[in-house]
Amino acid sequence: MRRMVYLQMRKRVEARPGQVLRVVDVTRLMAEKDADVLDQLPVARFTRDQGNYMVIEWMEVVRVIREHDSTLDIRGIGQPYTIVEQKAKTRVPAGLYVAIVWILLFIGSGLAIMNFHTDVSMKEVHQRIYYLLTGVHHPRPLLLQIPYSLGIGLGMVLFFNRLFKKKFNDEPSPLELEVFLYQENIDQYVIDHEKDKDRRKVPDGFS
Amino acid sequence: MDFLDSLAVMVVGLAGGLAVGSGFVAFLTVLDVIPRLTVMSRAQKVVPLYEYALIFGALISTWVDFRGWSASLIPISAVPVGALAGCFVGLLAAALTEVINVLPILAKRMGLKSRIMYLLMAMVIGKVVGSLFQWILF
Repeated sequence: MRRMVYLQMRKRVEARPGQVLRVVDVTRLMAEKDADVLDQLPVARFTRDQGNYMVIEWMEVVRVIREHDSTLDIRGIGQPYTIVEQKAKTRVPAGLYVAIVWILLFIGSGLAIMNFHTDVSMKEVHQRIYYLLTGVHHPRPLLLQIPYSLGIGLGMVLFFNRLFKKKFNDEPSPLELEVFLYQENIDQYVIDHEKDKDRRKVPDGFS
Repeated sequence: MDFLDSLAVMVVGLAGGLAVGSGFVAFLTVLDVIPRLTVMSRAQKVVPLYEYALIFGALISTWVDFRGWSASLIPISAVPVGALAGCFVGLLAAALTEVINVLPILAKRMGLKSRIMYLLMAMVIGKVVGSLFQWILF
């Protein structure tokens, strides 16, 4: 009977430019025998001219393993490709960098809310609400407007469920979900587009 | 002729109200505000109640506004109303920000994924400060 090999492609892996990706880097492999040897077979080289992303398909891994030993019965489990992403140079962003983006967002969102208020004549609306509540015309109903301003912050925090993080621990916040979905979309795009590119050959002399 | 005029005005008013009302609800639905509040208050079974709250809120405030009914309450009664109104606007603002994907893209592009909470707080504090600035100093 032919020996069985089970391959499961990893979802995403990171690689340095020039790194030779071996079977173990892109798949989780289970074999009856010689799993260590199969693990070390080279699949592709991650070169700089391929950009930041590369997709390795299950078929490529199968071909590499079959070249090594064509008697194996190879079975795939799960998704048929792995996305290789270039390892970012630094994982921890510099403090100054964060500070600049922070100030950008801070000023930008402050400006945006003021624009919004002007756009919808929020001042008149506040004066109107204050009159309807108290029967007094007041040009600056701060008693309404200050709680309103603080309420905006509370509402945003509520939306991104920060206050209730402890309570709903297993539910991701909308922002986390959004980041995840954005990443998934990029991955899907990469998979669909990288496949069209010319396939790389397994580099010689790396076995 | 008088009757026809009134009829025409009524038709125009009803049509305008229909458009605005359905637009308002569609807007809230697209922004996922209600589902989020529902999950937050664990009230999946009483979603219709929330729908009624929206409808009656819009209807009653429109009516009160147009009729000019003033309640003659003490000034401090404006505080909870302001806070809740602000909260709602905050929810909308956050939802809009999320829909247009500003933060995920910014975080990814700038490699600030681990600091995304700071970025979020920047927007929240920016909104509060911007709003206070506009009312008090502007």
